[in-house]
Amino acid sequence: MNHLSQQAIQELCRRRFLGGSALSLGSIAMHQLLQGDDDKVKKPPFAPRAKNVIYMHMEGAPPTLDMFDRKPTLDRFDGEKCPDELMNKERFAFIKGHPKMLGHKHGWIRASNGIEMCELFPHLAQQMSDVTLVRSMFTDQFNHAPAEHLMFAGAPRPGRPSMGSWMSYGLGSENRDLPAFVVMVSGGSLPSAGKALWSSGFLPSLHQGVEFRSAGEPVLYLENPPGYDRARRRRSLDALSDLNRIHEARDGDPETATRIAQAELAFRMQASVPEAVDIQSETQEVHDLYGTTPGKASFANNCLLARRLVERGVRFVQLFDSGWDIHGTSPGDDLMTKFPSQAKRIDRPLAALLIDLRRRGLLDDTLLVWGGEFGRTPMNEARNGSKFFGRDHHPHCFSMLMAGGGVKRGAVIGATDELGHAIVDNPIHVHDLQATILHLCGIDHEKLTYKFQGRPFRLTDVHGKVRKELLA
Amino acid sequence: MILACWFAASLTAQQQEHWSYQAIPHPVTSPEKVATATPGDWSKSPLDGYVLHAMKARGLAPSPPADLATWLRRVTLDLSGLPPTTDELDAFLKDQQAGSRERVVDRLLASDAYAERWTSWWLDLARYADSQGYEKDSLRRSMWRYRDWVIEAFRSDMPFDQFTILQLAGDLLPAATVEQRLATAFHRQTMTNTEGGTDNEEFRVAAVIDRVDTTMSVWMGSTLGCAQCHDHKYDPFSQKEFFELFAFFDQTEDADRDNDAPTMLAPTLADHAAVKVIELELSEARNELEQHGGVRPTMSPWHMLGPVKGEDFDDARDRKFAPERDGVLLHREQEGQPWRERKDLSDGKVHTWNGSNSAFYLHRTLTSKAVGKAVLSLGSDDAIAVWWNGKQLLHKNVARGAAAAQEMLTVDLVAGDNELLLKVTNGGGIGGFYFQMWGAGEGKLRERIQKLEKDFDQRLGPMVPILRNLPADQRRTTRIHIRGSFLDQGDVVHAATPAVWPAMPKDFTRNRLGLARWLMSPDNPLTARVLSNRIWSELFGQGIVLTLEDFGSQGDKPSHPELLDWLAGQFMGSNWSMRHLLRTIVLSETYSQSSKQNATHRERDPNNQWLSRGPSFRLSAEQLRDQALAVAGLLHVQLGGKSVMPPQPGGIWRQIYSGAKWTDATDKDRFRRALYTVWRRTSPHPAMLMFDAQSREACVLRRRRTNTPLQALVLWNDPQFHEPALELGRRAMAIAGGDAARGITWLWRQCLLREPTPLEAVRLLDLLKDEQSRGLAGADAWGMVASVVICLDEFVTKR
Repeated sequence: MNHLSQQAIQELCRRRFLGGSALSLGSIAMHQLLQGDDDKVKKPPFAPRAKNVIYMHMEGAPPTLDMFDRKPTLDRFDGEKCPDELMNKERFAFIKGHPKMLGHKHGWIRASNGIEMCELFPHLAQQMSDVTLVRSMFTDQFNHAPAEHLMFAGAPRPGRPSMGSWMSYGLGSENRDLPAFVVMVSGGSLPSAGKALWSSGFLPSLHQGVEFRSAGEPVLYLENPPGYDRARRRRSLDALSDLNRIHEARDGDPETATRIAQAELAFRMQASVPEAVDIQSETQEVHDLYGTTPGKASFANNCLLARRLVERGVRFVQLFDSGWDIHGTSPGDDLMTKFPSQAKRIDRPLAALLIDLRRRGLLDDTLLVWGGEFGRTPMNEARNGSKFFGRDHHPHCFSMLMAGGGVKRGAVIGATDELGHAIVDNPIHVHDLQATILHLCGIDHEKLTYKFQGRPFRLTDVHGKVRKELLA
Repeated sequence: MILACWFAASLTAQQQEHWSYQAIPHPVTSPEKVATATPGDWSKSPLDGYVLHAMKARGLAPSPPADLATWLRRVTLDLSGLPPTTDELDAFLKDQQAGSRERVVDRLLASDAYAERWTSWWLDLARYADSQGYEKDSLRRSMWRYRDWVIEAFRSDMPFDQFTILQLAGDLLPAATVEQRLATAFHRQTMTNTEGGTDNEEFRVAAVIDRVDTTMSVWMGSTLGCAQCHDHKYDPFSQKEFFELFAFFDQTEDADRDNDAPTMLAPTLADHAAVKVIELELSEARNELEQHGGVRPTMSPWHMLGPVKGEDFDDARDRKFAPERDGVLLHREQEGQPWRERKDLSDGKVHTWNGSNSAFYLHRTLTSKAVGKAVLSLGSDDAIAVWWNGKQLLHKNVARGAAAAQEMLTVDLVAGDNELLLKVTNGGGIGGFYFQMWGAGEGKLRERIQKLEKDFDQRLGPMVPILRNLPADQRRTTRIHIRGSFLDQGDVVHAATPAVWPAMPKDFTRNRLGLARWLMSPDNPLTARVLSNRIWSELFGQGIVLTLEDFGSQGDKPSHPELLDWLAGQFMGSNWSMRHLLRTIVLSETYSQSSKQNATHRERDPNNQWLSRGPSFRLSAEQLRDQALAVAGLLHVQLGGKSVMPPQPGGIWRQIYSGAKWTDATDKDRFRRALYTVWRRTSPHPAMLMFDAQSREACVLRRRRTNTPLQALVLWNDPQFHEPALELGRRAMAIAGGDAARGITWLWRQCLLREPTPLEAVRLLDLLKDEQSRGLAGADAWGMVASVVICLDEFVTKR
């Protein structure tokens, strides 16, 4: 009796699967799962230069003036009152009264592409021949959260989809068992604008960034409750699928087929995600290169994980590293103590990522972007008379790095004035950067739109130009 | 000729008003009574007539009625957000009398659960959250009072026009009550930016823009957002008109202050009662203190000298300034400053002042009739020194904030005058002190009074952010913001409604109250349509106008225009009764159809736009959790109250510059309905997000339903689902005794309200036996079986 019923179920399920397959598959495609087969990857509208993106955001805005944009004139005026013309109509976040100029506080070394670079980044300096340095980025926002929203979602307030979500929406995922848009956080706290930075906004929540966590389970709710091993989950899922198929046969809702397929994908993710994030399997040489310690949350670990995810076809990997808000109110956020310790955390892994991608032949297909949400003032902030050196928020100019996937190698784009206060050559707005990143991935930023609240929206709002001078 | 025709047609199309701006034809003044319908009779309600007509025109036919259990589950989930119990099912199946469905619907509409379910719906539109948003996203621990106001409004079926007017302008009603003003917290759900260095005016303006957008979206189904920068591209709104609407909301006091001011004490009924009790106890305790014997000196006011600046903190603290060297000379200058009388430095409170690295001297005289003892309770920010009758009693080097009873000194009173001198030295930031004197032996009583006073303060009720207009002489002048920039302002504008809509009557005041009355006036063609469409969409999974948020030219046209107008008429004509509207819809034949799909459905009505079958879609994030708790018998029923923290994975809250912590509730609050879960904008509960809840930074006009693998993971592994599964398994095992099939049948019926088919029962029995044969303990195997049932498509879907 029992045996017979079991057979009956199997028969029913088999018939449903065969008979209903056209329907099921159709509905799966319609609902855009985390993309099942390779043919579900959406073809970019034109030939892409990059298949994947690793975007490294230094939360708080690093003092790129002291990293990539040496200003001897600024050193000469160190401690002098800021010239009046720089104060014209200027809105500062924290500076009160008339500030003094602040020279560089660290030495300079020669990078492999010949430029001068901060001595605190010796490893990165050796890799600069593969990097494009943009010295002329600017933004409209001078507070962290709005500037981060602008940087990642194209508008200064929450509610819009993030760049990675647009990419997932536009291009789909290349891996059937991993999400298209993965986010990892290091440095202790979330970015100012919080999880909204990887929200899918008004796009379907399928395109939301999935946070891979450094402690606990790598993806929320990935791990089975205590006592459930993989075989047991499989048996439980078999029963669930059988019963769902019976139900589907009776009610005929295509959504049921989708749910069955999604549960199967969840089961596969339970294996593929831990495998992808298991850096124990890497060689000692690789660990030495990055400076990684398995099981410890760090920017280094996240860089190595980013490489592993890109290898596995994850479309957009977003790293957030916090602690870069160098105001100089205490040694905890100043140029002399905090900044060098931040530099030490990222210098080696950043260089390692470039080396590792290159030697694995992944650099050509992977676009790397590194930067903050705005720049920092050439003046000393001296909040409440602080004795520690630091710089206030500065939207008018800052540097960013780009490498790999279709950008120039070893180039320097744009320039700032002799105090590092304003751009004098080739200003590049945040929206231009976004347009260029999408372009490198084979997407026209003016065509990738989504209709919401009565009008089509896009990442670059109504702005943005692809900046050809960045392209190889 | 042809050309001319085309030209004429195009002219008319342009000149003709857009459909949704036309008056609702034949507004119904008294609700049409929906006769007690015989199941299957499509002629009783005009609602069904419209639907049937549209179906026939497309060669479709209605589906047969859903079976009774399916209908009961559907209507119970829709009206109360919870599944029916098996007892309710049995009672319904037994009720053979005519009107059994009406009785069910009336029972549901009268339940508290109904108010909770529809509050949940409204909170998305109200962008309700328990936090301020933006960078720090600090918690607003009092916002639940507004949420409870909404619950109460639905519980009493408050007419929707009143519901609207109170939320938009309750504060402007004559002699507005606390509850009426509390309702205005609706528009204080806007975010507050406390990030260091931000411009408060910029974010005040952002909040006002959000109020315009939310009001227009929720009530008018119109998105004017783009008109804040330029004239609307598609719909007839100019930038000037946007700022004329802005002007209605531009006169409130709130200005992106960190403390969310203005706020209002909003005690609950329980608070009222408690305060009365505490007041009584306090007056008793104070009387007792009056009666207390012993010596009590009279005290002169304080005299204060300072700030006396030192080289640094140590110097200011240790250097003997004039009052220490020469004694206190109240009528002369010391250290180049006069002693000032400070009657304002009352006892029993912390007083603060500015002056870093400075000393502050405080002197007073205590006159006693006799020799005795007294206790001084002192606090200081930072260091403190005390002299009593010229003798130094204390010299303490500390850095701290001032509070009560940081130092307790017992002093000997002499008959006559006693001289007390304090020196408080401040390092950086603000400084301050605290003083209180107790007679000897009053300690216990004083402590009790202090505790009562603290209780009293706490029971005054939470401070809720509200709308309050600026005084008449401080009104803002509203100007157009050129290209949407608040820094670049153009012409002055005055409050007015857009020209394309019916004009605001002359006797309506040009303020929020006038605007609210205009929104709800019978001449407004949009509000009744927009709201009826939203409510319809909650029940059917999609609106008659699919774009719930856009009734403008870029939105979808209604699939059933006459039906929409009829519903709108019902809503208005019933004195804006939500209950009436819901009752009308759920008792229709349209709503009661079976949701099963066949080839014709998939071919001719794949999205069920023509309503050729009953509604069927996945439950919302909130309903899924509530249902799991309910069927397991774990749900803790409690109406309203502070927001709660059910289990959430560790490490979710890591907001920068924020100390707020999530602590999983271990008591009954672990099992409250999902609408009570703390909603933090930058970090809503992750399981809710995975089921399409949004962060509520702006009003959520439509949740999109997705079907993702992460949802399967939540159902399998989130304690919010796993714990109910274990509990269900435990109960099923107990019921099974030795008969597993019995347990399986109970479990199935408990969750799905029907008996399993033999095939279904056998499949679960197989799983159970298989696990047990592998050595899994009974309870665990049963828990696993129950987990399968609560993950079933049939369980997570309303059919």
